[in-house]
Amino acid sequence: MLRHGLDRNVTFWLLTGLAAFVLLPWYGIERGYLDMRWITGGWPFRGSGASGLFAGLERPWLLPHLVFLLLPLAAWGRLKSDPLFSATLLFAGAGGLIWLLLQGFAIGLNGFEWSWLEALFGPQDIRQFGMGYGALFTAAAFLFFLSSGLAARGVVNGDTFVVGSIGFVIAVVGIFIFFPIMKMFIAGLQTDDGSYSLSVFIAKFADRKIWSLACMTGGTRCGVAWNSLFLAVMVGLFSTLLGLVFALVVTRTGFRFGRFLRAMTLLPIITPPFVIGLAIILLFGLSGTVTTTIAGITGMQPTRWVYGFTGVFIAQLLAFTPIAFLVLIGVVEGVSPSMEEAAQTLRAGRWHTFRTVSLPLMRPGLANAFLLGFIESMADFGNPLVLSGNFDVLSTEIFFAIVGAQNDAGRAAVLAMVLLFFTLAAFYLQRFWLGKKSYTTLTGKGDSGHHPLLPKQLRYVLFAIAGVWTVFTLVVYFIIIYGSFVEVWGLKNNLTFNHYVRAFGLSWNEFGLHFSGAAWDSFWTTLQISAISAPLTAAIGLLTAYLLVRQSFAGKQAFEFTTMLSFAVPGTVIGVSYIVAFNVPPIELTGTGLILILSFIFRNMPVGVRAGVASMSQLDKSLDEASLTLGANSWQTFRKIILPLLRPAILAALVYSFVRAMTAISAVIFLVSARYDMATSYIIGRVENNDYGLAIAYSTVLIFVMFAAIGLFQLLVGRRQLGRRFDQSRTNWEAGG
Amino acid sequence: MKIKGNAASVEFEHVTKVYGGMVKAVDDVSFAVAAGTLVTLLGPSGCGKTTTLRMIAGLEMATAGRIVIGGRDVTKLPATDRDVSMVFQSYALFPHMSVQENVSYGLKLSGHSKDEVRERTEAGLALVGLKGYGSRSPSELSGGQQQRVAVARALVLEPEVLLFDEPLSNLDAKLRRQVREEIREIQTSLGLTVVYVTHDQEEALAVSDRIIVMNNAVIAQMGTPRQLYEAPDTAFVADFIGEANILPCVVEDVTDGRAQVRIDGMTVTLAARGVGKGPARLAVRPNRILLAPAAAKSGFTGTLRKATYVGSHWEYSVESAAGNIFAKALDGDDRLTVGGPVAIGFTAEGPVLLPQ
Amino acid sequence: MKLKLATMALLGSMLMTTPAIADDLTLYCSADEEWCQLMARGFEEATGINVDMTRKSSGETFAQVKAEAANPKGDIWWGGTGDPHLQAAEEGLSEAYESPMRGELQPWSIKQSEASGNKTIGIYSGALGFGYNEDLLKQNNLPAPACWADLLKPEFKGHIQIANPNSSGTAYTTLATMVQLFGEDGGFDYMKKLHVNVNQYTKSGSAPIKAAAKGETTVGIVFMHDAVAQTAQGFPIKTVAPCEGTGYEIGSMSIIKGARNPENAKKFYDWALSADVQSRAVEAKSYQVPSNKNAKISPLSPDLSAIKLIDYDFAKFGSSEERKRLLKKWDDDVSTLPQ
Repeated sequence: MLRHGLDRNVTFWLLTGLAAFVLLPWYGIERGYLDMRWITGGWPFRGSGASGLFAGLERPWLLPHLVFLLLPLAAWGRLKSDPLFSATLLFAGAGGLIWLLLQGFAIGLNGFEWSWLEALFGPQDIRQFGMGYGALFTAAAFLFFLSSGLAARGVVNGDTFVVGSIGFVIAVVGIFIFFPIMKMFIAGLQTDDGSYSLSVFIAKFADRKIWSLACMTGGTRCGVAWNSLFLAVMVGLFSTLLGLVFALVVTRTGFRFGRFLRAMTLLPIITPPFVIGLAIILLFGLSGTVTTTIAGITGMQPTRWVYGFTGVFIAQLLAFTPIAFLVLIGVVEGVSPSMEEAAQTLRAGRWHTFRTVSLPLMRPGLANAFLLGFIESMADFGNPLVLSGNFDVLSTEIFFAIVGAQNDAGRAAVLAMVLLFFTLAAFYLQRFWLGKKSYTTLTGKGDSGHHPLLPKQLRYVLFAIAGVWTVFTLVVYFIIIYGSFVEVWGLKNNLTFNHYVRAFGLSWNEFGLHFSGAAWDSFWTTLQISAISAPLTAAIGLLTAYLLVRQSFAGKQAFEFTTMLSFAVPGTVIGVSYIVAFNVPPIELTGTGLILILSFIFRNMPVGVRAGVASMSQLDKSLDEASLTLGANSWQTFRKIILPLLRPAILAALVYSFVRAMTAISAVIFLVSARYDMATSYIIGRVENNDYGLAIAYSTVLIFVMFAAIGLFQLLVGRRQLGRRFDQSRTNWEAGG
Repeated sequence: MKIKGNAASVEFEHVTKVYGGMVKAVDDVSFAVAAGTLVTLLGPSGCGKTTTLRMIAGLEMATAGRIVIGGRDVTKLPATDRDVSMVFQSYALFPHMSVQENVSYGLKLSGHSKDEVRERTEAGLALVGLKGYGSRSPSELSGGQQQRVAVARALVLEPEVLLFDEPLSNLDAKLRRQVREEIREIQTSLGLTVVYVTHDQEEALAVSDRIIVMNNAVIAQMGTPRQLYEAPDTAFVADFIGEANILPCVVEDVTDGRAQVRIDGMTVTLAARGVGKGPARLAVRPNRILLAPAAAKSGFTGTLRKATYVGSHWEYSVESAAGNIFAKALDGDDRLTVGGPVAIGFTAEGPVLLPQ
Repeated sequence: MKLKLATMALLGSMLMTTPAIADDLTLYCSADEEWCQLMARGFEEATGINVDMTRKSSGETFAQVKAEAANPKGDIWWGGTGDPHLQAAEEGLSEAYESPMRGELQPWSIKQSEASGNKTIGIYSGALGFGYNEDLLKQNNLPAPACWADLLKPEFKGHIQIANPNSSGTAYTTLATMVQLFGEDGGFDYMKKLHVNVNQYTKSGSAPIKAAAKGETTVGIVFMHDAVAQTAQGFPIKTVAPCEGTGYEIGSMSIIKGARNPENAKKFYDWALSADVQSRAVEAKSYQVPSNKNAKISPLSPDLSAIKLIDYDFAKFGSSEERKRLLKKWDDDVSTLPQ
């Protein structure tokens, strides 16, 4: 079948690219992508709204883009299978992208960025700003040309959508994860006068404040790196232990309130991260309720014992134990009862069975839980911020290296690298450990049978630990809610709605309803940003999962690793690297809402990927193949077959990314601006201002909003039973039919 | 509205498929499927038959070689752009759509008018005997009905080639026979080109115009069911299609395409099939072996090791100098005693020499 | 790519809520959030110019102004301690401007301006001191401290908080003040002895007095106006002007070089120096001493004339070499000592 003219999709992108180049402002607008004032500012011929074409009259290095955009016309009338078709598109796409990047990086705010260019052309009075819509869509067109070219050469079954998606995911992951981290590395090499030097880096890296081991030898304190490492190991260890205790209580003691414990696992996910720290201060601080009560009874001098390692440790344990529980409950339940029963029939006692069979089988789960606790503790920013006292940890140290009087982005970069190294090492260990051994039960048949109960003494110990910890958790959450009604904690202990009124007050004025509360601004911004980023996170996560599960292509393993990598990149690192990378052209995003959205998308993307991978693996692959052979292309298949069947995964990804965006602080704190202030950073500000009442009231509202959001999402996505399960193996034949 | 055939031929020219740069799933395979015929790809699991089918569909891309459908080179075309439909082993009915939505799925995508889509969907369902089942959900149908929906869904697109990937493997034994006859009937009445994958030789023999037997990524033999059964080229084909005893023998003389073959003292005359003088192998079907008490003196002798009654016939195991021989006979022979000597002979159709 | 399109469409829909206003001013504000809001909204009301305000600490703002030097996005930088403003002037990041309001200003403000070649100007001033929590003092039977020297008494061990001079300008001012009061050796000697009594070096400058207000520490070394603010909020905080004398900061304002709206920046500059505007600081619970002589001073504000102020050498101790040297010395000699 000879196609007359040009392939439909290529035509579409050619026109899009052309329109973008001729009509849309090539450069970014002063106030970010949301600013639309370019429409009146000389657009599209002059000024800030000038399109690539017209800006190119003054800046001739923009014009080659037009050549690359028009190049696909050379494939006019050619078949997809014609080698010239693919060659033309490949050349247009790759050439255009390379040129776009080259000119973007070569010519910055101060003219040539690379000295050899200046040496070649002499100093020129040229400068350019960050890229805008025009550049964005032109780049998209180039990316499509490139992937069409590759697809026409039969790459990944010649599927344009798939090749394009892979290209798209690689491009965005490259731009928004790798590029910033790379820039951050470079910032670590930078000297004060802007040149680069390895010795400066080494000096910053070898800083005593990072690596000192003085505390081991009787000195005052150890370096932040050791502090963080020690804290993370302890938190990982104890949260795993506690998680295991709870998991065992639920599965092997005949405990009847497992559902209640499971519900509690939701709490840390919907709690803003520093709120637990605040509650700990209200309870155990020098003037905390518990401290003063005990001091009153015993006459002991109250101390500041909670500030430092102890306080952060307790707060993080409270926050992350439910995560460990969530991981371990699956593992503990997953140990096949028949194995334990087998051990018992082999005359092993209960205790012996548990020790020699059950526990070893849980090992991968334990490792997993430990490493999760480790990574979470490393990355935690909120709790150390309020509780760490003189016990400095990496995440807060990074923050103050940038925002304090130190103002040393290089040091922040170095610290961020240390942090990144630790989390990546943990991430790698986790994969290494889990990848090696198979602990799964070696039978395809479902297991019946019951988990044996644990020995009595052990059961009582477990009940005691779990009971104490549960009560403690409840007290902490009670304090949070109660604290939001106390006028001034410890000073004026009367109850009041005042904090809620100050935060979320509503009044009527001549324009109607007026949001007079102080928190409304950041609240709406947070909702808006979270609501925008959640579906995008889910979308890119599921798209990536689709590529990982359903497609095979060269470099897939590396692709998978990189997409999961951002899970191991702590928020603080993302925050710092985004500031470093996106403050200057070619991509200027600081101070916009978009940078927040992007940071959320790429922070939370691995969760979307995981949810997608897990549920997509359950879908019969022949479903999409059937759709393909019925004439649907991959995009239609993805939309009509895979997405509808993935509703539960979509729901999970949506809820999770929404909630994470609402409660995130570590990356956010670097990226907020007056215009786009987020709830968490606003609350931190109130905490800094000693306004605990409003901070806690606001946090309480957030907790309930997130509960509501989870419910709402469930309604939106729908709970239509997909479980009208399709039993392929049924053989009961109804004659005729 | 009638569903028409739209049959086209399929040609493979030196097609190779390599997975992960190492594993050759299909190795330099060439064949042609004439328009309007039903050709079966037959072979044990892992032989490359499913990969071959998926390459016709466009679900896998050939690493080397050319694939031509209806005279058009489709080697680099993805499944979407090929005029080929497929019925999957698991049927792959979309569980979130009704039967009607399933069947009309491809029609809607190919841009037919609404009326046409409806008419064709109804015609398709009628063709497979499921009129009136349109609004049901696939999970409310029995296995056989699901299978027919899958066939209808593929048929309504009037594809150039219709592919079946082990379509009967999820059905019980009785149903299989019925469904395979239905498939054959539809194929012949609409004049469709069908490529059909199975590992069941009986199924292959029953439905095919031609069979392509594959083994270890290459084609072992192609031919009509009868050719393959009567004149297998290799020990593998002989054994895979029906059962066969492969016995060593010596070709003593070849004249006019007839060979004098000696096997353990007995000499028979067979079609030479290109085999020259010297040691060779022959294949003989169990039911073409005659056993008699040793006294009969015809053929060569062996010792009867086992005699089993299986209802429709008897099965015998005989130990002989030429190797262990498996034989079937419709009626038992009282004169044969387990542990005693037997004389072994061949029926008139007899054995065939294996050229390879 | 379709995703991207969808993103853009979504984002596009967001901007419908922001009307386009032609007359703009981008304000970088380094004072407290409340005061910043007051200034921004106040200027909008007074002039009709749309103010786009970003609040960041003075260190951060300096970093931002420096980073954006090639492509300045801010017009004016208001508030925050004087050192970074002086540094910006030194590095040529700010624009010289002589306001017609200069006649109404306090001498220390003019002095600050002259030191920078008129590139920055003092808008408020605050003296360093400390505050203590009266309840905790009583509970622990401690004597009320009145001088810097009182804080070195052994009974104050574990009762004092101060910020880390590495991360806080306030603490650096304390360090510089001690060096100027007692000489370099005496100053560091003081810091070493103080170190023994310090229970925590906070990251932010005003955190110690906030902790004292919450009852989490007894004494906090901070600017006196920060301590007063806690008293005003109802906390049992007593503010002390140390008897030996003390250093001070001058909160400053600079016009950013290459500002996109220089005329509006100058309008804001003059407006911010007026007596009426400076009198409103109290509304934002800020108790610094205003630079306009005619501005009303809150009765709660520490009376600078009654405080023994040292002759603080802003040029010397504001320079980055001296700063780095002192901080390194503090890091090496003080912070490593056992507590």
